[in-house]
Amino acid sequence: MTEKSRVLSTIAGSIVLAFLVLPIFAVVPASFNHASFIRIPPEAMSLRWYEVFLNDSEWWKALLASFRVGLLATTISVVLGTAAAIGLERVTPRIRAILLGVVLSPLIVPVIMTSIALYYIMRPLGLHGTIFGLAIGHSLLALPFVVVNVGISLRSIDPNCTRAAEGLGASPLRVFRTVTLPLILPGLAGGSAFAFITSFDEVVVSIFLAGVQAKTLPVKIWEAIRVEFTPVTAVASTVLLAITLLLFFGVKVAGRRLASESAPHGR
Amino acid sequence: MGEVIAIRQLRISSRATMATAALLAPILLFMGTCFILPLVELLRLSFTGGRGPLWAYREIAESEVYRRVFVNTLLLALNVAIIASLLAYPTAYMLSRLRGWTLSFAFWCLLFPLWISVLVRTFAWILLLERNGPVNRTLSAVGIIDQPLSMLFNSTGVYIGMVHVLLPYALLPIYTAMRNVDDRLLQASDGLGAAPLQTFLRVYLPLTLPGVAAGFLLVFLLALGFFVTPMMLGGMQNLTVAMLIDLFVTERLVWPLAAAASFWLLLIVLLLIASAGRFLNLTQTVAAR
Amino acid sequence: MDAEPRPLSFRKVTKSFGTVRALKPVSLQVDSGEFVTLLGPSGSGKTTLLNIAAGFLPSDSGALFIGDINVTELPARKRNIGMVFQSYALFPHLSVFENVAYGLRVRGLPRADISRRVTETLLMVQLDGYGPRRIGQLSGGQQQRVALARAMVIEPAVLLMDEPLGALDRQLRKHVQLEIRRLHRKLGRTTLYVTHDQEEALVMSDRIGVMRDGRIEQIGTPDDLYRRPVNAFVASFLGESNLLRGRVVQCGGTEASITVQELSVDVAGPCALGLSVGGEAAALIRPEAVTFDVETDVGLPARVVEVVYLGELLAVRFTLSSGQDFWCRCFSHAQVPAENREVRLRWRTEDVRILPLDMAGSEGDVTC
Repeated sequence: MTEKSRVLSTIAGSIVLAFLVLPIFAVVPASFNHASFIRIPPEAMSLRWYEVFLNDSEWWKALLASFRVGLLATTISVVLGTAAAIGLERVTPRIRAILLGVVLSPLIVPVIMTSIALYYIMRPLGLHGTIFGLAIGHSLLALPFVVVNVGISLRSIDPNCTRAAEGLGASPLRVFRTVTLPLILPGLAGGSAFAFITSFDEVVVSIFLAGVQAKTLPVKIWEAIRVEFTPVTAVASTVLLAITLLLFFGVKVAGRRLASESAPHGR
Repeated sequence: MGEVIAIRQLRISSRATMATAALLAPILLFMGTCFILPLVELLRLSFTGGRGPLWAYREIAESEVYRRVFVNTLLLALNVAIIASLLAYPTAYMLSRLRGWTLSFAFWCLLFPLWISVLVRTFAWILLLERNGPVNRTLSAVGIIDQPLSMLFNSTGVYIGMVHVLLPYALLPIYTAMRNVDDRLLQASDGLGAAPLQTFLRVYLPLTLPGVAAGFLLVFLLALGFFVTPMMLGGMQNLTVAMLIDLFVTERLVWPLAAAASFWLLLIVLLLIASAGRFLNLTQTVAAR
Repeated sequence: MDAEPRPLSFRKVTKSFGTVRALKPVSLQVDSGEFVTLLGPSGSGKTTLLNIAAGFLPSDSGALFIGDINVTELPARKRNIGMVFQSYALFPHLSVFENVAYGLRVRGLPRADISRRVTETLLMVQLDGYGPRRIGQLSGGQQQRVALARAMVIEPAVLLMDEPLGALDRQLRKHVQLEIRRLHRKLGRTTLYVTHDQEEALVMSDRIGVMRDGRIEQIGTPDDLYRRPVNAFVASFLGESNLLRGRVVQCGGTEASITVQELSVDVAGPCALGLSVGGEAAALIRPEAVTFDVETDVGLPARVVEVVYLGELLAVRFTLSSGQDFWCRCFSHAQVPAENREVRLRWRTEDVRILPLDMAGSEGDVTC
């Protein structure tokens, strides 16, 4: 294309990318406001509201709840999803397409719909407002990530590797433990991270399934915004942002290291 | 003889089949009880309401108020998809020309927002678009406006927020389509004497159109079901279907209406996906021409 | 029949994939310490047979014995086989040592034994000191040797190899072929080897089984197959060959004669089984048995097309009056014929072999 169009698109593109990334960070300076209203940039800065956040049991409980739900949802997703991914590699393509569709369907069905349906079912069962109930809802949205990621990892393994292990006398369980599992670890790690972040950040499902006992951080932030918010809400948002970023980079770094260790044959 | 073969194969393959079934059973059981079942129950609810099985559906379809909400949501989704696609196109083009670390960096900028909770992203816009927020203050400081703009609790804020959240979904398919364009086709067009604009209109655009269509559709579908962003940035002035459903459940406690509205929404989503399959193939044939 | 059970024995093994009969009943006995190669084009069933031997594929019918144990329905891990794959299938996340040690660990050997045997085996494949290396750091040839070591260290009843040299370049392939033969001579492990490369088969094997369309066309020593192929397919698959097709006019047990329509000539010589008067057949004449002469009227008329220099040999391509190519190999440089020269081709009758085109039935009908 012409030079002019290239320059124009670069300018436009850069603006768009900046538009995508920068606004998100508005919550960070907001959290450092000293006053009890938010101003960006802050007139006076302090860690006052961070202290409030750390000392408020409500916020802490929410943060902890988020972690507990996240870990449970990730565990459920990893166990069910890994088994599913392995199983999917063994069925015919047509069945695989159908089953994969079923696994991915929570991503197609509007989240609000899934949320109210779960809310309706869980109330009489006493699962509403529990860590477990929340984890179930989150797992539905997290499973696709595990299944897809582990599936990709599985397909990248030379199929003869498991055969070789078999031929050398290993039982199916041993083959899985010593050959399959180490080789799908990158996909597993990536899928787990996606699953955890999906759960940690999930809003709509959490709103409907949370209760007084179990309330995740996003729900608490949501409530705070709707009622009245002070910079502590920005602090909570910054914490959410920071944890997500940490996980994001953690996965990238770990992924790179794992990939270099189990490098495929040099041919 | 065939029986002997069949029996032996059955014996050996049934071991394998049982293993496969054992691997797939847990997730299917989980999805069945925790996803399918609740949705089926919701479907059942949609047929209740005392005044005949289809009362709730008809109520939604015939009521002026509810219809308005659906229409507004569709228009909102449509506009957001258009704006997002327009912004995404040049950006994707820029990305498709990048290599090495600049590409990695740009890609990171693109993917990073997707990892951040939609709540944080929307809240950030609340902070930015407030009457006393930095956007208003900068604009009046520069002298563009006299009075602070009201960007929240009206459609302006909703549009900004939703485009912001959904832009990456529009960008990725376009980028993929652009990366797959064979440069030699463009060179051939140039070589045949076409002006850059013509090459763009007749070669490049048609080739990337499927990507644009895919991105457009994706944004449209996601926007239809949006709850958090329109609620926080638009308030009750701009009801979306999702907000309506929420109202039915949390305030009015009319479950049949909530269920019916949900399935109306799902129907629209599924129809769009189905027709998109045909539409996308159509675009490819048009593009090929 | 034998008191001693053979290490590997296929008895009327069949296998179909849907409507495709990959293996029509195949029977094969491999003797203790023997190196048998299954040679054939792709689709001939050789890999299928190997996978059945390994236990990765169940057979449809027939039986498979390893030693005196019927392993037909036994899973691969209980068969005590050593398999070398074409793609090597080394464990990328384990070191060379751990790869080779894998089978021993599975068998629960004590650490000292494992260490000793792995080190010995690595030495045998000339990779001593490579233990701690990672697979990704090795060249193709080195990976191949690790794969070999991994299969051999467990001292399997049978060694199975599926075109293990397919991914190597020519030079390396020749080198490794000799390596494998050396190791076989040293260890005497019963081996079933699969390849489509006839040179490879000739170099390494005690016996070769030529396969086509799910059947073993012929099995025998390299010499057997080369000198006394049972049909035109085997003849053309092994070594260079000239085949003149025609109809049998005479057939008398050990000698036969055919008439080649397009060349208006009769060719006679020793024959294989399965011929019948009036039936189609081919006369096999190896290029090294052909001589050419310009100063004579006796022999098959031909015209020189090209002369290919092969080092100490010359390969000369002629074209016959029917348009068919005919090859000759000779040592002498003095008589390099000019292109387009008209010559006469000759051979000794005893160097001819009259062959049926196909095997008629698994035993070969003898109707003459």
